[in-house]
Amino acid sequence: MISYELTLPYSLAPGWLAPYVEGLQKGRAMGRSCTKCGTVSFPPQRRCQCGNPDAKWVRLSGKASIELRTDGSDGAFGLVQFEGAANRAVTRLEGFSPDQSTGQLIVPPTDVPALVLAPSKPRSTS
Amino acid sequence: MLQMAAVTGSAQTRFSRRTDGSSFRDWAGEAFEAALAMSGLEHADIDALIVASESDFFTLQLNPASILADDLGLIGAATMRVEGGGASGQLAVHAGVQAIASGRARHVAVVGVDPSASQLPAATVKLLYGYSFDAWTDGMTGATATVLYALSYRAFAARIGIGVACLDQIARQNRANAMHNPNAHLPRQHKLAEIAESPLIAAPYRRLHCSPLSDGAAAIILSHPDAVPSARSGAPRISGIGAASDHAQLGARQDAGTFTAKREAMQWACQQAGVTPADIDVAEVYDAYAGAQLQALNALGLSETLADDLEAGHFAADGRLPINLSGGLLGQGAPVGAIGVAQTATCALLLEGRYHPALQPQRQLRHALADTHGGVCTTAAVTVLSQAGAS
Repeated sequence: MISYELTLPYSLAPGWLAPYVEGLQKGRAMGRSCTKCGTVSFPPQRRCQCGNPDAKWVRLSGKASIELRTDGSDGAFGLVQFEGAANRAVTRLEGFSPDQSTGQLIVPPTDVPALVLAPSKPRSTS
Repeated sequence: MLQMAAVTGSAQTRFSRRTDGSSFRDWAGEAFEAALAMSGLEHADIDALIVASESDFFTLQLNPASILADDLGLIGAATMRVEGGGASGQLAVHAGVQAIASGRARHVAVVGVDPSASQLPAATVKLLYGYSFDAWTDGMTGATATVLYALSYRAFAARIGIGVACLDQIARQNRANAMHNPNAHLPRQHKLAEIAESPLIAAPYRRLHCSPLSDGAAAIILSHPDAVPSARSGAPRISGIGAASDHAQLGARQDAGTFTAKREAMQWACQQAGVTPADIDVAEVYDAYAGAQLQALNALGLSETLADDLEAGHFAADGRLPINLSGGLLGQGAPVGAIGVAQTATCALLLEGRYHPALQPQRQLRHALADTHGGVCTTAAVTVLSQAGAS
């Protein structure tokens, strides 16, 4: 066997997603609002479902409700609906008990611009 | 029936985790030579080589088609590599059919290969797969393939009202089929409890609901209907191909559980072949996860009453519509680029009555379906194969 180690130190340019990426790093949900029909997307869609590619960036509350969730050795994740967005998002769930279904976007624990949700209400300590 | 191309040769290597020092170049050669021998054609007859390989990360070989053209003795032939995630192999079959339909080629070799198991640690492959959906949202969030498939299945199960027990049945059935397939990676006679109690990866998916990472290759030779060698005049025909796409993000879809792209791809393929889903006699379906097989059967229009049909054994080896006789990805294994090519090769061999004897249905098969996708059915590609004489 040939042992060969490759490291790939990427510098990823965020391009049109720059406001989204910068927002996430501050725990802010930056969505796109279509200039024609007003539909807001978060995560941002480059082209609105109406077909219009033009949009302006808007800040959402970052509150989200969990529609579906999965738990296991790969972690806890949900398909969630952010307040004010027409689409849904897959987010990591941090510290949710099974009965908690609403959360808030938080500053990701690492430098990576990740969608991470924490419970809206503190967990019961009982 | 439209006769787009004849499948004059079909072969694959064993799918497994290789520890014998052989490389993906060896496996590609083995599969190609066996398919070429079956076709009765010579190396010089091959006008184009189309290689399916999902990722340079696996092979550490950018432009693998060029290196394989050299290895396979096909220098001078047109070469290209086709990639569409998990659908790479089936999209390569489509590219081969299109090369023939365009008049550019009379005989095309389609070779699918990937060392998905042995060249990188499993944790590294899992990380890379996490970036194969939408790297910027799902990927950065750390969601794995299993997580995304689990969320999609949950949406599907809620919509059609199907229980978790069906997942155990699918995994058991596919791996039981693989018991009779000497090329299979995971031939197993599972007890249902063994599956239901395997480690939880991303609920409802447990380890035994997931397909393995495998090494291997598959190859087919496609020939123009007017150029089929006389000894192969009965070779099955590709009668319809269809491909379509969906939003990569589950949250951008109307329904996260419905494989809409697969439904559209199937409609294209059936229309071209002049068949309906009810005409399909046997199918190889993309079961990266047990639930994905159910979502596929639904989207392909092969079952309106999934739980009942599953319970009644309709999809079993001796059922009215055997699904994944090879064992599918769950049982036969998943060297990504090879999957779609192997599915099409399997369908061709089944139509010819030349599949592994214990798995070959005794009744006459007229139409077979190979169904593949990439992402959580973001890129769908299906192929309908028919008997040479079918109308």
